[in-house]
Amino acid sequence: MCNLTIFPTIENTAGIISLAGALLVYMVVIFLLITASKEEDKTSAKHKVYKVRSRYFWGLTIFLIIILFVSLQFLPYPHTGPKVDQVITVVGSQWVWKLAPGVSHENPKNFTGGNELSLPVNKNIEFIVTSSDVNHGFGIYNSQGVLLTQTQAMPGYENDLQYEFKEKGDYKILCMEYCGAAHAFMEATIHIY
Amino acid sequence: MIFTDAIELKRQRKLAIVWGVTFLILFPFLVTLGLLMRLDQGNLTTLSPTTFYALMTLHGLGMAGVLFSFSFSALWYLNGTRYVKLSTGIGYFVYFAILAGVSGLMIGTLIGKFGPGWYMLYPLPFTGATWSHWSIGVSVISLIVLGLAWLTGILHLLYTLAKEYGGFTHILGWQYLRKKENKRDLPPIVMITTISLVPGVFGFLVAAAMLIMYLLQFFEPTLNFDPLLLKNMVMFFGHLIVNITLYCCVGWVYALLPEFTGREWKTDKVLVYSWNATFFFILFAYFHHLYMDFAQPRSLQYLGQIISYASAIPATAITMFGVIAQLYHSKIKWDIIPLMFLFGMAGWAIGGFSAVVDSTIAVNKVFHNTLWVPGHFHTYLLMGVVLFIFGFLFYLFSEKGNRHGGGVAKTGFWVFVTGGYGFVLMFYYGGVNSIPRRYSSYAGISINSTATTGVHLAQIAVLFIILVLTGLLIMYISLFTKLFRRKEIQ
Ligand code: HEM
Ligand SMILES: [Cu+2]
Repeated sequence: MCNLTIFPTIENTAGIISLAGALLVYMVVIFLLITASKEEDKTSAKHKVYKVRSRYFWGLTIFLIIILFVSLQFLPYPHTGPKVDQVITVVGSQWVWKLAPGVSHENPKNFTGGNELSLPVNKNIEFIVTSSDVNHGFGIYNSQGVLLTQTQAMPGYENDLQYEFKEKGDYKILCMEYCGAAHAFMEATIHIY
Repeated sequence: MIFTDAIELKRQRKLAIVWGVTFLILFPFLVTLGLLMRLDQGNLTTLSPTTFYALMTLHGLGMAGVLFSFSFSALWYLNGTRYVKLSTGIGYFVYFAILAGVSGLMIGTLIGKFGPGWYMLYPLPFTGATWSHWSIGVSVISLIVLGLAWLTGILHLLYTLAKEYGGFTHILGWQYLRKKENKRDLPPIVMITTISLVPGVFGFLVAAAMLIMYLLQFFEPTLNFDPLLLKNMVMFFGHLIVNITLYCCVGWVYALLPEFTGREWKTDKVLVYSWNATFFFILFAYFHHLYMDFAQPRSLQYLGQIISYASAIPATAITMFGVIAQLYHSKIKWDIIPLMFLFGMAGWAIGGFSAVVDSTIAVNKVFHNTLWVPGHFHTYLLMGVVLFIFGFLFYLFSEKGNRHGGGVAKTGFWVFVTGGYGFVLMFYYGGVNSIPRRYSSYAGISINSTATTGVHLAQIAVLFIILVLTGLLIMYISLFTKLFRRKEIQ
């Protein structure tokens, strides 16, 4: 059921951090359940808690600022830096994906493209993603079912997603935004060679 | 404090109990819709996608609406029996308008199969719909009725409080920030009521504007609105209502917990600063719902992450540490009510933590619209808000004499908590395994591991949901025993 990979995915890391957070919360709960039965003068108990609180406050604030700075370096948004090796236009429609190389100047409603595509490995690919009707979500999954990245497909807007496929094989596109009855059945395939 | 006479108290109490009983009827019904969805996703029963999404829409809108309505009514009761005189006439008007709105939604979803999800993301209600055309109009109008009902109730409550405490800035607690001595204490629950409900007013106004656009589109299909603007509007509203529902609950925890610990919890400068900061966080955190809309201005994306992170500071450092200061070495007896408040805090903390993780843009790109998201908000709502609500219900349905929770209530509580955490864990684990949310079926996914994991997790979740329902039933026995005994005493 689990996906075992040598490198932990973002998903696994985030899951473990959250689990650790939840356990910490329950340690505090258990601590309170046990210690609350003791009696202490209200002001001295409050004093002790407030001492911990001020340390917690500064610790948390500094920690959050550091994480902010680090995590904001890893954004999925298009960079202007690296050169784009290939451009693919993607149009989501109820309930198919259409993909074709190149920039399309057509109305998304008239856009023609297939739901399968072959692309080279280790190249910077830019997907220009839009929709011809309602909102969809363009999510790229590898063959082990790990969601690698995504962007919304919104009618009237183009979202540019750059991605470099690091391994050969078949990748799947799943729809990540509820778009009506057949939302769960809207797929496409990208072969990386 | 205002003197409330016995007749007034009785009238407000009756209104609160009417609300409580209504909640107790609607809540398990909506849980059952959730059970049906999980059964379907686990291939244990077969619903057509159209039915699945109609149930999902009713479940989402219904739960959010019922939880907010009840939380609001609890604040109404506590403010109206302790600090100000509220009109029970307006109270009942709000109640019946909400019932009408909920009935309209049931007709729209269960009969008309209206199913664009709670958020009705534009233009989905109108495009490629598998639901009847009339169901759009009925549902949109029902939502407008709900919004107007809430607005009426909120404005009456806020106006009355402001009048009693000498102006709007006074119920925000600003007089504490001045050097001068305060003549009159501001109860924390009054300030929290204000801080929660003023953003609520903004939220309902934005929602009303959006619904009117929908209504125009319903009558004039050639119209075209900006999907990004409407997404911002619906997320502003949706984030806000769920967020303030929890803050309403926190309001009564501040008011009621001291009755069990014997330690007062008063407004001071720190509390005013932190809750006024929260006011802004409530309004601007919603940008984290649009991270994957790359067309949204980049600065708003940054703002989303910064505000989401910042909102953790007052919530934990002030409110949760406040609860710790209440409880630590307080010689409290762990009756059902403080027990539920403590566990509600834990659910809020855990659900909040997994949200902060997901509000990191670098993480959101792999968690957005996966089951991680229902994992987060079900923890926050089911293990947070719902526990706070049951804590309040036990308070409301009992009297000083029989307030200590019996074994029955606690048994129900532990069964509920076990089931609840098991149920949300399956969502989280699904998120870690990249299972997308809002899939009526996982069978269509051509990645085998993803499809089978999705199905298995749904099946395990079913067992936990049955525990949740069992726990609820046991708690009901205790609750209603208390309610009827109270009547006898009178
Ligand atoms: C044991 C109780 C509950 C069960 C079994 C349950 C079950 C579910 C399920 C299966 C979904 C669909 C998940 C997906 O595949 O995307 C869902 C969505 C949702 N639930 Fe619950 N739920 C419960 C309690 C609650 C509560 C207390 C709330 C409070 C507001 C709530 C609000 C929602 C909302 C807003 C959605 C999203 C609907 C949408 O995407 O349009 N649920 N729930
Ligand atoms: Cu979709």
